[in-house]
Parts: sequence; structure tokens; C-alpha cells
Amino acid sequence: MISSFRSLFASAWMGIQHDLAWTSMPVALALRVVSPFAASMTVSIIYWFGVTNTGGAVMFNPAQLAYVLVGSTLYAQVAAYAWVPTIAIAEGKNLAVFPHIYLTARSTALYVAGRTLSAFAISTTASVAALAVAYYVLDSFLNTTIPLSVNPLTALMVGAALVADIPAALGLGYVLGAYSLYASKFEWSLPGYIAGLLMVFSGALFPPTILPYPLSAGATYLPFTQFIAAARVAIVPGVSGDYLYSMALCLIGGVIFLGVGLLIYFAAERKARRDGVIDRRMA
Amino acid sequence: METKSWLRTMRARALVRLWSIFGERLWIIVSMGFPVLSSLALSLLYYSIGAVGYIGFAILGGVMVSFWGNVLWSMASQFNWDKQEGLFEIYLTSPASLSAILIGMSIGGIIGTVPSAIVVIAIGWALFHPVVSASWGAVALTFGLTLASLYAMGMTLSSLYLTYGREAESINNVLQDPVSMLSGLYFPSIGAGSPFPFAIQAAASLIPLTIGMEALRGSLFGGMGIEAIWPSLAALAVMAVVFLALSSLALNALERRGRRDGTIAVRIR
Repeated sequence: MISSFRSLFASAWMGIQHDLAWTSMPVALALRVVSPFAASMTVSIIYWFGVTNTGGAVMFNPAQLAYVLVGSTLYAQVAAYAWVPTIAIAEGKNLAVFPHIYLTARSTALYVAGRTLSAFAISTTASVAALAVAYYVLDSFLNTTIPLSVNPLTALMVGAALVADIPAALGLGYVLGAYSLYASKFEWSLPGYIAGLLMVFSGALFPPTILPYPLSAGATYLPFTQFIAAARVAIVPGVSGDYLYSMALCLIGGVIFLGVGLLIYFAAERKARRDGVIDRRMA
Repeated sequence: METKSWLRTMRARALVRLWSIFGERLWIIVSMGFPVLSSLALSLLYYSIGAVGYIGFAILGGVMVSFWGNVLWSMASQFNWDKQEGLFEIYLTSPASLSAILIGMSIGGIIGTVPSAIVVIAIGWALFHPVVSASWGAVALTFGLTLASLYAMGMTLSSLYLTYGREAESINNVLQDPVSMLSGLYFPSIGAGSPFPFAIQAAASLIPLTIGMEALRGSLFGGMGIEAIWPSLAALAVMAVVFLALSSLALNALERRGRRDGTIAVRIR
């Protein structure tokens, strides 16, 4: 058990080094803030532009702007780390790191989990910073005050929601990692798909209820949707919803995602060993 | 003779790119994931706030983000990857012109991105029926000039990325979203309707995509003809020429420095 934790910690540390140590760490971390900041600014400005140019048919509502801003930042946070297992395996295969990890006494699943946790820590830091910067920049550009309720309790509630989403993201990561064990070319484009799917189905930008049935029902009960909903209830005043209900759904969904993800990953790993593709670099 | 060789080089590089895309049909489907889904999500955002008249902006943005992604990942980064694979030194030791290789790559990239753009338009059209009031001649000219200047910028970036080496991928990641925001892929970022202060609008105007998107929106949704958007068209043409010249100068300078310092064959720095 202790050695498993050691492996997990070592993998997470390797992830931090991989993601941030290519230049000085503060610079690398600052560069990580740029993308979620720009993405959340883009969708917030779309909201502002849309409602202020409808000839008065729709009124600008700062609370709705906060809804979009928080949702887009949290979506960017998940999108930034859910695909890390894919890349960790794909890059590991290309550089012959992954076969060596496979040969050690520890499971590669631990390595994948460690890399995901490090990416979670980095993307959470970057997304919180992006939210803070976007909040002040939008305040200034749009001459409005975005209503966000930030105090130790709401910060704790958002933090708990972020942690509650880890099992779901890890489960998704294991499924995509299973694909990476076999694929040797298209895995690089998966992040784009994940980001796009999360944008549409996680309720990050608009309520999933506007999607046609049964997509709306499926999207509503996704753990990612419930994670964003819980965080919004915590931090955006006046947003309807039940924090504990969303957290419970997020955790239950996450555990199911993680269980299914692990089953698929281990089955793929066994098959990959039989088929001799674990050290295959090119298709 | 030299022109013939230049054209053959360009054609050869374009064919390599086209073959790499159309030779693997799954690649076409895979590459359209983000443009289609992000365009759909932002169209739904406009729809959800009752601004249905602007859904066309999100669809047009989805079309152009395909090309912007192609410029970043398949143009700007390409020479750096070629260098890592050992291909770049073969380019330099051959009599082939680097500019011809880059222009061939651009033409191949543009044609290869067209299926993605068509799918974005088809899905957007089928789901949202955006109202179009187009001056088609102006749209075609603007589209052509925007791509020319955008890919010329990609050619300039490719020489810069050769200098930066392995940081290129991180630079791409950093550039993608801010440029999408500043260039107004999904909303007007310059002129009327822009939320940005004048200084930011001025800086954003140095990106060809910004000028192109503004003119495309005007000609496609505002019915503006060439006579109304000619300043934008002129600016795009100038940008295309300037970026082409810059890329040529930068590549020549890099080649000279690489030969002098003996770094052309260094694959990873």
C-alpha cells in the first residue's frame, strides 16, 4: 500500500516536471493560465455581445455573465487534465518510457493516475488564476460588476467540487488511455474532441436542458455537468440548484466512470500485451 | 528552368500533405472534431441567450478556426518537427526552395482543411438556418485573401519555431486561444461591437485573421460589397506580401546561421 502511494507520488512528480520544468516553473505556470483565460474571455464576450445587440429583446444580466464565466473556466479545467492519460501513454510509447513503466513491478494504472493528479493540480491552479484575471478584465472592459461570492466557505465548496470530479475525469482518462495503448496516430487529436464534447454536453456555457431529448437527459446526469453545477451554486449568487444533490450525483457518476474506465483499461492492457503493441511506436 | 523546379517542389510538397490527409480517411473525421463541436457549442450559446441572429458568427468562426488550427499545428510547427525527424537537413541539402516547400505545404493544408470547413457549415446550416445576406464575390475574395495572409503568417512562424525548437509546442498552445479571442473568430473584436479598448483593437488588427473575420462577417452577413470592404482587402493583401517576404528573409537568415554554427543537423535543442 505504501509503495503504491510512493509510485503514485513519483508519477505525479514526474508529471509536474514534464509539464512545468521545460522552462522556469513560474513562467510555465503563467503560460498555462493564458489559454483558459482567453477561452473564458471569449465565451463571456460572446454572451455580452449577444445580449447587448438584440435590440433590447434580451437584457444584459451580470449574474448570467458570471454563470458563463464560471462554467467556461471550470470546463477548461477539466478539459486541460482529462486527456493527460492519453498523452502520457502516447508520448510514453513514442519515447519508450511507457514500456519501461509497464515492465516495473507497479501497475501502469498507478502511473496514469499520478500523471492525472499532477495535471489536476496544475490545471486547477491555472484555472483559478484565469478566473481571477478574467473577472477583473471583464469588469473593466464591460463596465460591469460580475457577482461572485468568494469567501472561505464558498472556496471550500468549489474545492470540494473540483476534487469530487477527479474520479470521473480519471475514469474518462483510463478509457482514452486504453485507446492510446493501441493507437499510434490519432490519439493526438483526442484532446480536441474531449474539449469540444465537454463544451456541448457539460452545461459549461448553457443549461443542458436546451439540448434535444435524450441528449439533454444524458448531459444533465454527466458527473462533469454536476460538478460545474455544484461549483456554480457555491460561487454564483442566485443560481438555482442543490449543492449536495449535485455533489452526490457527481461522486456516484464519477465512481461508475472510474470503475468502468479501470475495467476497460486493464482489459486493453492485457490484450495489448498479448498483441505485442505496448512498445509499438508507429502504426 | 528555375521556375519549373520551384513549381515542381511546391506541387510535390502539396501532394505529400494531401496524401497524408486524404490517404487516411479517418484523419479527415478526426481533424474536424474540435471545429465542429466548438462551433456547435458557441452556436448553442448564442441560441440559449436569444441572440439567434448571431449564430452565423459562431458557424463562420468554426470554419475559420479549422484553418487557424491548421496554420498553427501543420504549418508553423512543421519545420520544427521535420528537423526532429531529420527531414529538414535533407530539404536544405537538396536544391529545393524552402519557400516552395512552405507554399506547397500551405496549399495542401488549405485543401485538406476544406472538408472540415464544409462539415461545420453543413451542420450549422442544418441545425440553425442562419440568415445570410451575402455579397458572394466579396466573400470569395475576402476568404482567399484571408487564407493567403494567414498561411503567409504561418510560414513566418515556422521559421521562428525553428529557432525556438522544442518550445514550439508550448508556444502553439499559448497562441491558439488568445489569437482566437483577439481576432474575433466568434464576435467582432474590432470596430463597432468590440468590447476591447482601442489599443487592443489596434494590436489585434496586426493579425490577418482579425481583418479577415471582420470583412467576412461584413460581406457574408451584412451584404457588403467589395467597394465597402476594400480597405480590409488591401490590408490583407499587404499582410500576405509582408509575411511572405518576412518568412523568406527569416528562413534565409536561419539557414545561413545554421550552416555557420553547424546546427542544421541538430534534431532537438
